[in-house]
Amino acid sequence: ELSRRYFASRLSLTAPIGWANSVSTQPRHFVEHVVVRRTGPSAMASFLVARRLLCPASARRLLPCTSPPPSAPAALCWLSTDASPSPPLPVPPLEPTVDPPKKDGASFSAGSGAGGAYRTGQGAASGGRRSGGAGYEEEQQKVLRASLLHVPRMGWSESAMIAGARDVAMSPAIVGAFPRKEAALVEFFMDDCLQQLMDRIDAGEGELLKNLMLTERLSRLVRMRLEMQTPYISKWPQALSIQSQPANVSTSLKQRAVLVDEIWHAAGDAGSDIDWYVKRTVLGGIYSASEVYMLTDNSPEFHDTWTFVNRRIKDALDLQKSYKEVAYLTETLGAGIGGSIQGVLNKVFQK
Amino acid sequence: MKHLDVAGGTGDVAFRVVERIKSVSHRATQGTLTDMEEDTHIYVCDINPNMLEVGKKRAAEKGYNEEQCLSWVQGDAEALSFEDGSMDGYTIAFGIRNVTHIEKALSEAYRVLKKGGRFLCLELSHVDVPVFKDIYDIYSFSVIPAVGELVAGDRQSYQYLVESIRRFPKQEKFAQMIQEAGFEAVEYENLVGGVVAIHSGVKL
Repeated sequence: ELSRRYFASRLSLTAPIGWANSVSTQPRHFVEHVVVRRTGPSAMASFLVARRLLCPASARRLLPCTSPPPSAPAALCWLSTDASPSPPLPVPPLEPTVDPPKKDGASFSAGSGAGGAYRTGQGAASGGRRSGGAGYEEEQQKVLRASLLHVPRMGWSESAMIAGARDVAMSPAIVGAFPRKEAALVEFFMDDCLQQLMDRIDAGEGELLKNLMLTERLSRLVRMRLEMQTPYISKWPQALSIQSQPANVSTSLKQRAVLVDEIWHAAGDAGSDIDWYVKRTVLGGIYSASEVYMLTDNSPEFHDTWTFVNRRIKDALDLQKSYKEVAYLTETLGAGIGGSIQGVLNKVFQK
Repeated sequence: MKHLDVAGGTGDVAFRVVERIKSVSHRATQGTLTDMEEDTHIYVCDINPNMLEVGKKRAAEKGYNEEQCLSWVQGDAEALSFEDGSMDGYTIAFGIRNVTHIEKALSEAYRVLKKGGRFLCLELSHVDVPVFKDIYDIYSFSVIPAVGELVAGDRQSYQYLVESIRRFPKQEKFAQMIQEAGFEAVEYENLVGGVVAIHSGVKL
């Protein structure tokens, strides 16, 4: 009886997490099936990210998914005083000979580290997902891409995904098979924007950047990326809240890390004393702040946001460059102050 | 949208689906999905007309007789009477174990589903968790038939039940069978350590 109830609930869309209920705008239609709940959301996220990084959309440039989240190492780097050489930057187009259909089947095993095309969950509580090849991935992407057109009207919700599925002549029941539904849509959008950014850089805008200063290059790139969000700006707060849900936060952090890495790479960070992790952390912070600023910006064509971005980047880089100067200054001051305190103590103890 | 529940004569899954459609929260959705005015229809299919009668009686008790969305159809899971590509969803709860040729049932499911349609199967399955497995075996072979004899006076049926559970393919094997029938994105989820498993697949 219990299992029947659970089974029937799989047909409808009771959200597995109460948080999602409060955030997602629309209740679901019964045919949208609840996604399989797997154990280990972090394992799932890493699996998804690996899949995404190896999927055709980003197959051209393999970004290091081993790049650690900027926050943790940055703290360590601040504490360490030695100027260790920063890790080498990711080498751009690795094997362009990656064959997308084959990779899709192989990516599951690559991402999960388990043998075979599926993965066994911990504690034998869940089972593997088998891919029939590139077919399912492509169809999923088609549906998600069609759903994006409905997002400005319906938000990042199952309604948009159902409408998208109808546009592509698929039964809306397929939406039930997407992992974490609205999050799948948001993550697809983030990947798509990243891919567009990379394409634009490769197509020639990268050349235009060469003549600018580092701060201007970064501003230009951040602006390029944020402009892709302008059609969805009315519903972007919802996307942000979806990304911050516990089940989705690890994937969204990874996506942002990859994005920031890509921007720094395109800006070409030569000739700087700043540590690798610190750069990414700083830019990640600026990007997120600008993204949030943009939500309440009503100026024509987001003029104020671009000013904000420019100013923040300038401040950040100036601060970093003057870090060394501050270090010398404090050393000198320390020497001076230490000297005078010593003098006072000598006088005291002489008496 | 059309949904087919096979071997669901007593209507358990179907009623829950109807409740979900008719719920207030669902009605609230209609505002945004203006082009989804068409009604959802649920077909309940069972090989045993007596089960269907029980289901109809229960529907009357729950007050679903006026509902246009429920249909009770007698049919064989291995040879469904529905057209190709006519269903958005196909569910079979605790029924596929009793089908003689599981591959036929799976290929029929594949046939009647639309593109993008989802196949869901709920079934008693195998337990692999070390200690729990032994407890489960002892419980299945010693306790269940005995209780069946005491309560229902029918030891044979419950012996058959337990043995048919063991004869059913394991989760992985069954997932493979589903994939061979043509479904994509096949996955399964174990409940209670494997006592029950939900397999799902998508037709593309």
